[in-house]
Amino acid sequence: MITARRIAVSLGLAPVLAAVSLLAGDIGQEKPRVNADAALSVEFLKGVQAYVELHKKLEATLPPRPEHATPAEIEAHEQALASLIMRARAGAKRGDLLPQKIRAYLRRQIGVVLRGPDGAVIRRSVMEDNPGKVQLRCNARYPEGLPITTMPAPILAALPKLPEHVEYRFVGDRLVLLDIHSQLVMDYMTDALPL
Amino acid sequence: MLIPRRPGLSLVVCVAAVACLSGAAGVSQAPAASQAAASAQAALPLTLPNKEDALKFGVMGDFGTGKREQYDLGEQMGRVHSQFPFQLMITVGDNLYGGQRPVDFVKKFEAPYKSLLSAGVKFYASLGNHDSRQQSAYALFNMDGRTYYTFKAPKQDVRFFALESSYLDPTQLQWLERELQNSREDWKIPYFHHPLYSSGDRHGSDLSKRKALEPLFLKYGVSVVFAGHDHVYERVMPQQGITHFVVGSSGQLRKGNIDKGTGFTAYANATEQAFLVAEISGDQLFFNAVSKSGKVIDAGVVERRKSQ
Repeated sequence: MITARRIAVSLGLAPVLAAVSLLAGDIGQEKPRVNADAALSVEFLKGVQAYVELHKKLEATLPPRPEHATPAEIEAHEQALASLIMRARAGAKRGDLLPQKIRAYLRRQIGVVLRGPDGAVIRRSVMEDNPGKVQLRCNARYPEGLPITTMPAPILAALPKLPEHVEYRFVGDRLVLLDIHSQLVMDYMTDALPL
Repeated sequence: MLIPRRPGLSLVVCVAAVACLSGAAGVSQAPAASQAAASAQAALPLTLPNKEDALKFGVMGDFGTGKREQYDLGEQMGRVHSQFPFQLMITVGDNLYGGQRPVDFVKKFEAPYKSLLSAGVKFYASLGNHDSRQQSAYALFNMDGRTYYTFKAPKQDVRFFALESSYLDPTQLQWLERELQNSREDWKIPYFHHPLYSSGDRHGSDLSKRKALEPLFLKYGVSVVFAGHDHVYERVMPQQGITHFVVGSSGQLRKGNIDKGTGFTAYANATEQAFLVAEISGDQLFFNAVSKSGKVIDAGVVERRKSQ
């Protein structure tokens, strides 16, 4: 458990640990939960990192996208990368990156923020321009032209910090892991916004 | 200090500026691409000093529709540029609505602003909730692949901070604080999509983002902030010394969508598309908001707030 905590801090999870500790009130009593959550964060980020490594490996096989690209170059690169990843993850299914225990953990983290003193304001921010009930598929493109929801700072501070080019987004009450370079939905979970 | 001017009101500073600019307009060197538009109509009634050594820039937001109104305002931008040669244009997001294919970049950006692009105006984009994050790689948006970034203006002591307001994660907030702290420029100008203050009836002020960003702006001597999202033009009365603009009607427009009860509107317009041009000279930022029909709908000057 000590190892998990150290790893969590090195991955930038100190805010998560601190938040959970504060909420615990009696730190001694809640220590097992803190360490369990830190371990879940580590496990979750390990899965995400494995995806990122695959992304990088496949992207390296493509001609590099110019730093200052034309729209045609951007589109070609994005589509080629998406195809490679989709093929490599052909068997990917919902829950691969977000298994049940990770989903429960993320739900808890979001719930703590939404039940906090600024919860109503934060929820309003999330629901504004939320595209709602749109069909999503794991390992498929994020629907073209669909607006993205805002991710308020307190929610992002409470969730494990993702590697570069991977983002959390809400679609309806679903929390999506989005690869912003390939526009692929890496995975998603339902009921991420507790009532 | 803010000196407001609205059509119909007279003000010494602005009257003098109009006279100055009117005189200059007849001899200005209009870029070839906007020459026809410029000569087709009389000079615009801009009220900016138009000093040679000033930083001149434009602000536009929520524009990428590809519809007639966007093109009409783009034409006005060309006319303004022929009189008031601004060097750069910052965008406060929603650069492309709907499709983000190559054809969309042409229809919703390159074609409507052809005269500005031909004249060498550099665009520095920020992203809105309708924008693909991949726009950050688009050469003409000058984002260098980053969804948030900072750059020093080519003239005067000014630094801009383009933020990704839909994703204010700890990494971005820490970056912003570090950059604001390290910035030695007199003017630190953040711009982004979601407004901290807005009387737009559709969205209004984003209180969650205000809580995250405003303390940093106050701490590090920001004087002026530009945002969009609500499809109106609004200048907000200074809030703790900071003047906030909503420039969200440069393509999209929600007619009449102003909540008159917020109590912080200095001036608002939701009757036609608009954009803003500004000029920084020393401790003053002069601004004109120009509408699709070529009217100056709002004008004034913001004095730089000195750091505490």
